[in-house]
Amino acid sequence: MEKSITFIVTKDCQLACKYCYLVGKNTKERMSWEVAKGAIDYILDREDEFREESVIWDFIGGEPFLEIDLIDKICDYLKTEMFRRNHHWFNSYRFSFSTNGINYHTEKVQRFIEKNRSHLSIGITIDGTQRKHDLNRIWKAPEMEQGLQPKPEEERGSYNDVVRNIPLWLYQFPEESTKVTISSADIPYICESVLHLYGLGIKEVNINCVFEDVWKDGDDVLFEEQLTELADAIIDGKWYEEHACSFFQEHIGKPMDRERDNQNWCGAGMMLAVDAAGMFYPCTRFAQYSLRSKPAWIIGNIRDGIDQNKLRPFLTLDRCTQSNEECINCEVASGCAWCQGENFDAADTHTVYQRSTAICKMHKARVRANNYYWNKLFRKLELQEYEEQRRKSNRKACDI
Amino acid sequence: MEIRKIVGQVTPEERAEIQALFERRNGLNELAKILSADNTDLYEKLIKDMGETGTKFQQWWDEKAKKYQWESYPHGNWEINFDTCEITLVATEA
Amino acid sequence: MNLTNMLQYLIILLDKASVPYCHVPSMMSKNKGLMPLETLRRGIVFAMKENLNIQFVYPTYELPAEYEEVIESIDHTKIKPATQAEGADVLVIEDWTHHMPDDIDGATCIIHASRIELREYLMKVKELLGRVARLNVVLTDTEAFRDEDIDSYSSLLNELSDYLIDFFKQGRLVQLNLLTDRLLLTQMNNCGVGDTTVTLAPNGRFYLCPAFYHEDEGQSVGDLATGLNIKNRQLLRLDYAPICRHCDAFHCCRCIWMNSRLTLDANTPGHQQCVIAHLERNASRALLQKMETEGIRMSNTHDIEEIDYLDPFNNYKQWK
Repeated sequence: MEKSITFIVTKDCQLACKYCYLVGKNTKERMSWEVAKGAIDYILDREDEFREESVIWDFIGGEPFLEIDLIDKICDYLKTEMFRRNHHWFNSYRFSFSTNGINYHTEKVQRFIEKNRSHLSIGITIDGTQRKHDLNRIWKAPEMEQGLQPKPEEERGSYNDVVRNIPLWLYQFPEESTKVTISSADIPYICESVLHLYGLGIKEVNINCVFEDVWKDGDDVLFEEQLTELADAIIDGKWYEEHACSFFQEHIGKPMDRERDNQNWCGAGMMLAVDAAGMFYPCTRFAQYSLRSKPAWIIGNIRDGIDQNKLRPFLTLDRCTQSNEECINCEVASGCAWCQGENFDAADTHTVYQRSTAICKMHKARVRANNYYWNKLFRKLELQEYEEQRRKSNRKACDI
Repeated sequence: MEIRKIVGQVTPEERAEIQALFERRNGLNELAKILSADNTDLYEKLIKDMGETGTKFQQWWDEKAKKYQWESYPHGNWEINFDTCEITLVATEA
Repeated sequence: MNLTNMLQYLIILLDKASVPYCHVPSMMSKNKGLMPLETLRRGIVFAMKENLNIQFVYPTYELPAEYEEVIESIDHTKIKPATQAEGADVLVIEDWTHHMPDDIDGATCIIHASRIELREYLMKVKELLGRVARLNVVLTDTEAFRDEDIDSYSSLLNELSDYLIDFFKQGRLVQLNLLTDRLLLTQMNNCGVGDTTVTLAPNGRFYLCPAFYHEDEGQSVGDLATGLNIKNRQLLRLDYAPICRHCDAFHCCRCIWMNSRLTLDANTPGHQQCVIAHLERNASRALLQKMETEGIRMSNTHDIEEIDYLDPFNNYKQWK
């Protein structure tokens, strides 16, 4: 088991991605060193309470690399303190980042990478082809600070600023994956985007539909078409041999047993997040800047500690208690994901026990395309094997 | 030309031992980059630990090589795959 | 199943300052605010149409005659302050440290007390047990309970248990919710807000219970004009409460209001509530053993298993 501890080092970002769930981004809430140190001391002082074998020290924003000086100081302090205290995590830790990639090449970031190379996991988000990426991942314009949206013709995409750093990133972390987010507007570009990312040298593309209720009529049909097209391209182009796309997974789309398959999907509550104010959350999605319509779910702070009562609803969550009957009895239930934070935000009451079903039709479309993918792939592999066997037996016949 | 050849496998428990030592050694090396000799106590602790961890690391390979009698080359070395527990002989052909 | 059919009780708070009979927020208003007569009439009609039993909760002052007339138009239960005891089914003793009126003799009574108060006025509690038919103690300091308090509360329960044994030996089978309820139960018997019970406040709006009303009038779950609208109502049921459905502290009030305060989720109890209920459960088990030793027989009691935990939450990994 590993513990994921997230520092929300800033709520600022250079970009203003249209699908971003962080509704409260701002330039003011930057974590101070005192708060970061307070959080670290609180956690490391309680080794008996944080008993997981490993730890992932995760840094998130906004854009975390905007605070590279602070992050560098935090990581140095973590390494020193874990060692000084003979903390069991010194033998098993990672520093993890999800970045927009814009500052990746800068001297400070590169120096940090060099210092911590063997303990780093860095994911750069690139959404696919330029037209797909730039559709959503646009630069923040000054007027957005005042809540104004720029005109479409004034929007500036960030593709070129990110893609230039991909070769360096892949050179340093060849096994890293990228994370692609799908919202309603960019469904038509899914197939070309995944292939484009493969073409850039990214071997693993983690891709998911946003959990928010944004889906329009017909989106599922278009989505299924795109995934089917992608399935053909991956199989015909033999990309499956060395590349992966998280949309296609062999064991999804099956019914789930009420008792045997009753685990919660999400790790909220098992994780811990801390923000600039020194408040603790069950995951970043419960901080106020992530929530549209609910108050933050604060479980404590670095001074008074964690109120274990406020974690109890998360730790006892299971699939069926939070799902409606349709979801429980769904014939293609497995692999249908949810985000506990979005469930909470969309719920009718103050609860994490009401599963949002906004993604339902998209999951079903994915399952149909996924079935197509595996049926086609298995048939192809079977035929290849058959051909191979036939060739072998022909050779034998000739030998005789 | 580099030769890579799987020459054996260790148990998951043995893998866990060497993985922990590997992680610790990486941690110590990266800590060494930021710790100065001015911080006397911690610096000495680090130097001592690096020595001990290095010794344990070598001991593990010596013991396992003796136990499993893996194939070797004069200028080759073994690598472990932490996912599969497999031992690979890596050598450069003259 | 039609969930609406599961409702059984409507509690009508006749006044904003109706006597508190259960957990109450510290900010509860002491100011008068009588329910308009028309609201009362409509509340009664609502209960009649929904087949609900009405429990009227009275203020400390005498109601105008026309109110009593309307109240008497329907079968009901009256929860009244001990100072206004006439016709009451349940008496709330607000100032229980002073002289008790004769009306409490043989009655079902409710007192509010902290653990410190119970300890301090133990003799007074014993006096009450000697007079009432049933005493419901509402602990006022559940939220402040710490694990360091376990021994002292156990010891308090033990002393109360000894009093009960004394009375039982005299043939007086008095009930004390903290200790005797669990003896008689084979399944959960909790307060049931939103599931079996809702509250109508003087403002004409429904609330899960009076505590939600007193805490924040904005927490209503419908009104007389538009009807009940309890969102996520299933989460108030036992089968949707992961900790409680694995629990056998059957007498626990499973206070939904306190759940919302302590854990922020209505279906999840806080550690304090669980530990207190389990100390009572275990004390009930000890009481049963004492009764057996003393040869005291009470009908309908059930064995209580020995367990090695005080908070069922600690077992949650086994349920998954």
